Amino acid sequence: MLKLPQSSTDRKHFVIVGALVLVVTILLGFALLAILPVKAQSSVQAEPIRWLFQLHIWLIAFLFALVSVFMFYALFVFRRRKHDTSEGEHFEGNTVLEILWTVVPLVLVVIFSFIGLQTLQQTTSGGDDIRVEAVGFQWAWTFNYPNGVTSAEMVLPVNKPALISLTSTDVIHSFWVAEWGPKQDLVPGMRTQLHVTPTEVGEYKLNCAELCGLTHWNMVATVRVVPEAEYTAWMEQKIAEQNIEVVSR
Amino acid sequence: MRLTSLGLVRGLIGYAVGLLLGMAVVVVSRLLMGMSVWEAEAAWVGGIIFAVIGFLGGVGALSDWLKWTRGAETPLLHGPPADKPAWTRYFGVDYNHKVIGIQYGVTGMFLLLIGGSFALVFRAELADSGISFLQPGTYNTFLSMHAWVALAAILLGVGGMANYLVPLMIGAADMAFPRLNAFAYWINVPAILTLLLSMLFGWDSGWTAYPPLSLRGPVGYQLVFLSIFSIGLSSILGSLNIIVTMLMMRPKGMSLFRMPIFCWAILATSLIQLTATQLIGQAFLMLSFERTLGMPFFNPLYNAAGENIGGQPLLFQHLFWFYSHPAVYVFVLPGLGIISELLPVFSRKPLFGYRWVALSSLAIALVGFLVWGHHMFTSGYGEYLRVVFMISTLLVAVPTGVKFFSWLGTLWGGRLTFPTPMLFTLGAISVFLIGGLSGPILATTATDLFLHDTYFVVGHFHATIFGGFVFPFFAAIYYWYPKITGRMYDETMGKLHFWLMTPGFWLMSLAQMTAGTMGMRRRIADYDPALGVENVHLLVTIAGFVIAFSVLIMIYNLFTSAEIGATAGNNPWRSRSPEWQIPSPAPEHSYARPIAVVGEPYDYGLAGSKYIASMGAGDD
Repeated sequence: MLKLPQSSTDRKHFVIVGALVLVVTILLGFALLAILPVKAQSSVQAEPIRWLFQLHIWLIAFLFALVSVFMFYALFVFRRRKHDTSEGEHFEGNTVLEILWTVVPLVLVVIFSFIGLQTLQQTTSGGDDIRVEAVGFQWAWTFNYPNGVTSAEMVLPVNKPALISLTSTDVIHSFWVAEWGPKQDLVPGMRTQLHVTPTEVGEYKLNCAELCGLTHWNMVATVRVVPEAEYTAWMEQKIAEQNIEVVSR
Repeated sequence: MRLTSLGLVRGLIGYAVGLLLGMAVVVVSRLLMGMSVWEAEAAWVGGIIFAVIGFLGGVGALSDWLKWTRGAETPLLHGPPADKPAWTRYFGVDYNHKVIGIQYGVTGMFLLLIGGSFALVFRAELADSGISFLQPGTYNTFLSMHAWVALAAILLGVGGMANYLVPLMIGAADMAFPRLNAFAYWINVPAILTLLLSMLFGWDSGWTAYPPLSLRGPVGYQLVFLSIFSIGLSSILGSLNIIVTMLMMRPKGMSLFRMPIFCWAILATSLIQLTATQLIGQAFLMLSFERTLGMPFFNPLYNAAGENIGGQPLLFQHLFWFYSHPAVYVFVLPGLGIISELLPVFSRKPLFGYRWVALSSLAIALVGFLVWGHHMFTSGYGEYLRVVFMISTLLVAVPTGVKFFSWLGTLWGGRLTFPTPMLFTLGAISVFLIGGLSGPILATTATDLFLHDTYFVVGHFHATIFGGFVFPFFAAIYYWYPKITGRMYDETMGKLHFWLMTPGFWLMSLAQMTAGTMGMRRRIADYDPALGVENVHLLVTIAGFVIAFSVLIMIYNLFTSAEIGATAGNNPWRSRSPEWQIPSPAPEHSYARPIAVVGEPYDYGLAGSKYIASMGAGDD
């Protein structure tokens, strides 16, 4: 059994704690990544989100390990033994340490601000090869394409940058396809926008992410990401359908 | 004893009479102006305003001030009422800060149970997908009221700790303005009644009440606006009282840096409450005006060209969060103060870096005013604001970090013991760590655009509030229970409470965050089983019920120990703080003689050091 030193400033304590922090950081980092699976992975804009999320997880793992290992180590090593009636060691603080743990987090804040700025630019930018207007209302969605096509489902070609223009006709809603990453509110009286470049063919759910009344939970629309040829065919068919309707009126 | 001799009963009668009177005033006015007689919205607004005043008049919170207008004498009465049982003083206006502190604390605890029960109702519904017993409208009402009732509970809990402890800790005879103190407590009671009454009408916008949705809901919205306005008034008056008490009534020798550290936390908290609360009052008043009088603050109106010539919905969000973000620090700073207060006692060591801990509270309060926009990253406000608020929000980590590291420095090298209050203090640190560390990931805008309005935020928020308020509040209850009752709580039940609640909460937090990253939106009455979060939700629900059960153990413990607990003695924790140097339970007049401060508050382990001395009749 390891014999632990009595004095709280003995270097041995800090060597042990340091090693434990390292081990716990690694274990915790992988554990957190496993239990926090980020659903955003099917668009160009989701990439910076995933990357930054993972960076955060490693920082969280380290800081959690740092505080909790020090704490549990102290709880174990500095617990009062039976029949010990003495008081704790008398020291009131350490200015160097205080400055250190003020300045180091400040530096981290600066670094994360810089990273945060870059990832924000990446996740909110993209081209506008395809333009769609999404209109939210209690409790459904409509999608308008520039050529006059209107649809209750949103269809986008894969790997083409799309710019989705957003507005609401009644209360505030929020546009969110979890697999794509970012969300954006729809505000009545305002026009907001969202860039997305879908990278995976498939059928997704568009949900409202801002509580908007009675059946907010069910304010959902289908979003289909299809190969470009299929998109063109769908668009032609829609034009044909809606032209027929226009003629027959 | 007649029932109406209880202030509370008279207050309730006053509330009912006021409600009818207010409605009658509105009806008669409309009649005289030739309008349709009954308009529910106007009638209820008039009714509730009169009801709140009626309650305050009935309970007697205004009596002394009314007497002053006549120049009548209003001596401060001390002790329980002469002709009634002692417990009755808790059900009427009493000016002793310890009584008011208990009134705040018990009402807060009661509301915590109600707010928690609301959560259990919808957690049961969410245990599996599909709507089983709670219809979406009712779901939204319970969800929203869970928030409002819990927030009111926390404000009252904070008020309870501040009112009971601050005058005791600084050796003051009472608060600076005892009548204002009683008024600030009692206005909460009709406000809470009104809040609960609003449930009859339904409420479907969450506690945030964003317009235009909140402009369209049923008349119950008006009740909530008026209720929160009253609770806000209580916050402002209470904090004013605390600040004056703390600045003016400290004993000889107690410089600000020699106050018990909890007082610093309360000072920072009170500064926020005094300056930020008006913003939510204003925001809700504007909503109320827009609904009753048609003033177009928030709802857009369009001219023929389709341009918005009406209100701006985002304006409300700015006003709302300018209070409601700092409010989070109102909830957690006192709790962090409790942690800093209790650790030295159970470590038998000085608080590590007292000045840094004290000033970090002020720093958190200050930075807290600059971060409201991080609630609006997805709202569509100016692109550059997303950057400004990201940076200011990340800055919160710095003073918060100072607190964590100072707590570790306090534990290091101590002689640690682990009775229930210490366990809850350590539990608070662990839970607040989860809440704190899940903050920066929401502060960097890119990750927030994904996580915003998901269960990740729910997990983060609840960890912050449980770590910053609920755990420390429970620690405080166990810790000062002997001073309040003179008896010891049951240690076994206390430990059982802790060992059920803490792992239960860890599990709940992590599961909520998992659900969030998997795509679970918050505030939805039902979810798509295709998300794959059903098992996660079941875990959250089970953990929630375990936490609720553990709290019931505490309630049972507190009730039974008041009767059969062992006599605690004056200072069972061997604390240096002034309140432990007087008898338990604390007497009507706390300090028989004024105290003087002659040393540092936390010099545990320094032989021969003293914090306070009792002054003799001649000293000054």
